[in-house]
Amino acid sequence: MISKHLTTISKRVIKQLILDKRYLALSTIAPLVIIGFYKLFADAITSSTPGFVIARYAIPISAFIVHFLCFILCAIALVQERKDGTLERLFINGVHKTSIIGGYALGYFGLATLQSVIVLTETIWLFDLDFTSGEIILIFIVIWLLAIVSVLLGIFVSTFARSEGHVFPFIPLLILPSIFLSGLLIDVSLLPNPVQIFSHLLPLNYANNILQDIVFDDLNMHETLQNIGILLGYAICLWILASSTLKETE
Amino acid sequence: MSSPFAIVVKEISRSYGEIKALNKISLDIPEGKIFGLLGPNGSGKTTLIRSLIGSLEPDSGLLTVLGKNPIKDRFELRKHIGYMPQLSAVYEELSARDNIRFFGELQEVEDLENKVQSILEFTELTHRAEDPVRTYSGGMKKRVSLACAMIHEPKLLFLDEPTAAVDPHLKIQSWELFRKLAENGTTIVVSTHLMDEAFRCDQLCILNRGELIAMDTPKGILEKGRTTLSFKRNGKEEQQEISSEPTALAQTLKSFGLEADIHSIELYPDTIEDIVLRMVDKNTIPE
Ligand SMILES: Nc1ncnc2c1ncn2[C@@H]1O[C@H](COP(=O)(O)OP(=O)(O)O)[C@@H](O)[C@H]1O
Ligand SMILES: [Mg+2]
Repeated sequence: MISKHLTTISKRVIKQLILDKRYLALSTIAPLVIIGFYKLFADAITSSTPGFVIARYAIPISAFIVHFLCFILCAIALVQERKDGTLERLFINGVHKTSIIGGYALGYFGLATLQSVIVLTETIWLFDLDFTSGEIILIFIVIWLLAIVSVLLGIFVSTFARSEGHVFPFIPLLILPSIFLSGLLIDVSLLPNPVQIFSHLLPLNYANNILQDIVFDDLNMHETLQNIGILLGYAICLWILASSTLKETE
Repeated sequence: MSSPFAIVVKEISRSYGEIKALNKISLDIPEGKIFGLLGPNGSGKTTLIRSLIGSLEPDSGLLTVLGKNPIKDRFELRKHIGYMPQLSAVYEELSARDNIRFFGELQEVEDLENKVQSILEFTELTHRAEDPVRTYSGGMKKRVSLACAMIHEPKLLFLDEPTAAVDPHLKIQSWELFRKLAENGTTIVVSTHLMDEAFRCDQLCILNRGELIAMDTPKGILEKGRTTLSFKRNGKEEQQEISSEPTALAQTLKSFGLEADIHSIELYPDTIEDIVLRMVDKNTIPE
């Protein structure tokens, strides 16, 4: 029953995404434009700063875009369900919250895949990057995992919001610190010690660890598995948190 | 546990902070009838319905729906309960057909495509069935919502102000539909703040400020009204107030011996609005 409801809900989530032109545009064109801006920025900085490694930033930025968009779009979609009363309706029709969380995770997993393909294709093409097929598969696995974590984080946050506006304070709180503290722009080891503790709380940090290793050809099986394990741990914890805060009765 | 009542409510209360949305409500709802909840805005109709479907937990009291506990036995009850919320509660980007199909799939309705088609015809939505619901009028959204609530042919249908924002023609049709469903054995619990609508129900309870102030058949409630008898004799007028019960008038006239020179007996019955509003006034404690 749970798995059947889960697929029915994920199909509906995907259908809604496809039919809502604004959502679809925001989630596909916006990443393209941002990577385009990064290209302009990178061209300017490479001419003035010798030794600037474009891929060092390009791939993690792609991951961040997916992380951010999956979080915000999923959180808003679920808040809308609550506000419109369709969430209550799902519960009355005997849907278990596991099916709702799973259905959303699966639906947005589809969106994340689309975004990853778009963003990575553009990045690799624009910057003429060279990865082996194995590396590309690993990059996808990392971004997928990160997307699942972002979706679950979005579901968790949505349970505290009565309207879409309530989601926005969580962006500077949970998402923006990732830009500066998760190794996206500067290695975490270069940050002051107390700040590093905070860095280790950010899921993007672990995705970034693997991506940096891929870019600098420094992959280490043990470390990679460890980082993947931590991302999986995040997913499991957020799943448990989201199920405990998503209430079937008031 | 067999009971002629689809729903048994014993002394349920529910507060939101300081506001007592429901205050020790008790009522029994018979099977296969249309049961109306009548009351002004904020009287607790939605809170009562949401408690009955298991989406709100009362602070105290006992609730039995089809012999089951609406919260604990939620998954057992889901096939037998249909709920049309006060808000449309449908997916705005999806079409009417997709919305109805989605809820039908969740309920594992057999022969779903045909059922969706016939319910679309029934709710007069076929001509717009493929358009996104966000482009519909308020009344059309209500019909989509009703269709989603009925696609699995539940035994018990909860309708929270189903005809608000629906035009008069469709309002009458909706009520014909509710009547037909009840004749086929569906129990319908319907809330409204409109008196004329309430009087189409088989049984009626009147809520005000979370309190149940009357429960009866519409006829029974009408009989709670008063009838003013006006006697005109030799150009002089004499008035007497009696109850509206059918026996009362005869009784009164007997004591007058029905004298031959009484040339006029006129009845001025209370209107439905007068009766209900008086009940509400009496129940409203002045602050
Ligand atoms: N979620 C809520 N939070 C706070 N107060 C509420 C909530 N829902 C309803 N109320 C209050 O409870 C009372 C009953 O509301 P409701 O059941 O919606 O009445 P009705 O459906 O008859 O208009 C009202 O005073 C309303 O303001
Ligand atoms: Mg209401």
